[in-house]
Amino acid sequence: MKKLNCRGGDKIISIYWFFILFLVAGAIAYMAASFYGKPYDVRDAELRILSNKIADCVSSGGYINENILEDNNVNENFEKDFLKRCKLNFDVEDYQNWQDDQFFALVQFYEFDDTKGDLLGEFVDEISVGNVNLRSLCNMDGKNLPICLNRMFYTLDKENHEYIIKILSVVRKTEKNE
Amino acid sequence: MKRGNILIENIIFIVLNLIFLSILIAFLGIKSADVSPLEEKLAKEIALIIDGAKPGMKITYNLKDVLENADENYDGKIISIDKNIVTVRLHEKGGYSYSFFSDVDVSPLYFYNDGKTNFYEITVGEKK
Repeated sequence: MKKLNCRGGDKIISIYWFFILFLVAGAIAYMAASFYGKPYDVRDAELRILSNKIADCVSSGGYINENILEDNNVNENFEKDFLKRCKLNFDVEDYQNWQDDQFFALVQFYEFDDTKGDLLGEFVDEISVGNVNLRSLCNMDGKNLPICLNRMFYTLDKENHEYIIKILSVVRKTEKNE
Repeated sequence: MKRGNILIENIIFIVLNLIFLSILIAFLGIKSADVSPLEEKLAKEIALIIDGAKPGMKITYNLKDVLENADENYDGKIISIDKNIVTVRLHEKGGYSYSFFSDVDVSPLYFYNDGKTNFYEITVGEKK
């Protein structure tokens, strides 16, 4: 009778032992899969570079580049050829129904007003390129959303009128970065 | 008879444990030997370097670690740049592509240095 109890105890120990083994193995497999399976998210770096490139394109040395603003409006030709003039290319690789719609950029020109807290005076004009639908996703919380970067800086035109330029850059590419 | 039973049970128990641990080690080995994360890392790194580069810049990339991990049977191009898409392939049935948004001309070339290390040189130029 005593021996039977002892053998029953052994079986319980081995079931318990296998349960612990499976638990540990499951945890290791999960950690390995999540470590090796998660892609590197480089969109932050992409956004900063994109934003800098656009800022360099519209303004240099503290002055708005020539031929951008004409009579307080953005030159139509500049807006039409924005990507070409700023040496940008929003084409992307063929991947999960991506259709060159993974980027968006918005450049807004405001008059400078130091009486306002945000320094933004009257709105002048704007240029937008890329997938405009991404803009509305910037303030949302959740998964599979694009990431956005807002930047603004002070600049002058050739007649020394003061402006604030706001740049919104958006990169989606969630499938390859999240 | 009882002694024999105990011995067989113990052997089965040990064999099962060994099988279990072998599967676990094999899984970890396969995962850590997978070159896909390296392909992804390299493709994204090169795309970002090109994005951040100014026309006229030359970028030299040391391929030592990359070549050590590449499949020996694969003799195709490891890094290729087509239009604005960088593709890194370290084995026959693989490859990872990532695009850069800088509209520049990229002229890549390989060169061999002092018989030991391979470098990859990228020259970024103005788009013609």
